[in-house]
Amino acid sequence: MTATERNILVWDLPVRLGHWLMAGGFALAWLTGDSEEWRLVHVAAGGTVVGVALFRLLWGLVGTRYARFADFVRGPHAAIAYLKSLLGPRPAHCVGHNPAGAWAIVLLLALGLLTGAAGWLTYQEIGGELFEELHEGLASTMLAVVVVHLVGVAVGSLVHRENLPRTMITGRKIGATRDAIIGARPLAAMVLLGWVGALAWLLSR
Amino acid sequence: MKPLIPFVLVAASATAVAGTPVQILDAYANAVGAAYQVSAQRGAEFYARKFGVSAKMDSCATCHTGKPTQAGEHVITGKPIKPLAPAANADRFSDPAKVEKWFKRNCTEVVGRECSAGEKADFIAFVSGGL
Ligand code: HEC
Ligand code: HEM
Repeated sequence: MTATERNILVWDLPVRLGHWLMAGGFALAWLTGDSEEWRLVHVAAGGTVVGVALFRLLWGLVGTRYARFADFVRGPHAAIAYLKSLLGPRPAHCVGHNPAGAWAIVLLLALGLLTGAAGWLTYQEIGGELFEELHEGLASTMLAVVVVHLVGVAVGSLVHRENLPRTMITGRKIGATRDAIIGARPLAAMVLLGWVGALAWLLSR
Repeated sequence: MKPLIPFVLVAASATAVAGTPVQILDAYANAVGAAYQVSAQRGAEFYARKFGVSAKMDSCATCHTGKPTQAGEHVITGKPIKPLAPAANADRFSDPAKVEKWFKRNCTEVVGRECSAGEKADFIAFVSGGL
């Protein structure tokens, strides 16, 4: 750690809250999908995933520095170059999301939206068997991406000796002061919470 | 989106396997054994039995109503359920995969275990009006 490196804020509150709401919502939706008794819980949990994803799309445009898509969405070459560097003596390190992890984020947002849309259509009895199967297939695909994401987080944590899950709780990493974001945006986090709650309630009413 | 294509194909092929209530019933009965005597009476008893496993989903009739020819209502979501009887709803018991999926799901929660092939055959005999 050089003199200018300290514990800096990189993830604002909407990013962190959204992350854990999505993780919890997905896990609950996955566990309750096959049950009629838990159907309303399932719909609320799936609605949470959709609500977070919709909010995140907007936040990716107007959020703080490292929350913006423009900051982390990169092509496949950047992702491959990053992954290769992990095998070498000088692994590339990013203050925000790394270019490989960014792919998981984009895929999870897209799959969350599509899975939820197919589930909602099934719930409204539109599309019949086809959308039922689609809903299930998309959910399984999403689970696969979640697993890859978790492996990526574990590898990233080990290679960079940085506890990434804790970072997603505290929002802090070791870095240069000039790389820090200015505020945690608690008000936007309240909006996220209110919106997700309203959506989950409306869907499962 | 590329990943969607395989799932659409799987879904299309799953619905392509057609069947009739008699064929599906026979397949279950044959799974028990050639000597199995299908009984709509036992099916009726099973349909109405209160299993006492789930407080809200006590019996098949809880959602499907006392008469399979009637439209039912989902006790949890309040959504309408089309009649189970093929006489009232021609789509019923026409897709073995769908039938098996719902037997599995509903039996697990209502009965507390999967239904046996014999119970399934009896159940179809009853909701189909005897067969
Ligand atoms: C919580 C409500 C609920 C209960 C209780 C319930 N079901 Fe169902 N069942 C449904 C719903 C919802 C469907 C699918 C509706 C549709 O396809 O229109 C369904 C569909 C079925 C089907 C599919 C038939 C077909 O070919 O489309 C079978 C078979 C079935 N149920 C059997 C049972 C049996 C056996 C029991 C009792 C052990 C039972 N159900 C109890 C809600 C319920
Ligand atoms: C994005 C998060 C979601 C995930 C991971 C998810 C996952 C699943 C899974 C695994 C199943 C079981 C399928 C099966 O075994 O047959 C299922 C079924 C179902 N889901 Fe979701 N789901 C999500 C969102 C939603 C939403 C938002 C709704 C409705 C508004 C919904 C409505 C349903 C319904 C009605 C079923 C039963 C369909 C059937 O007959 O198989 N889901 N879901």
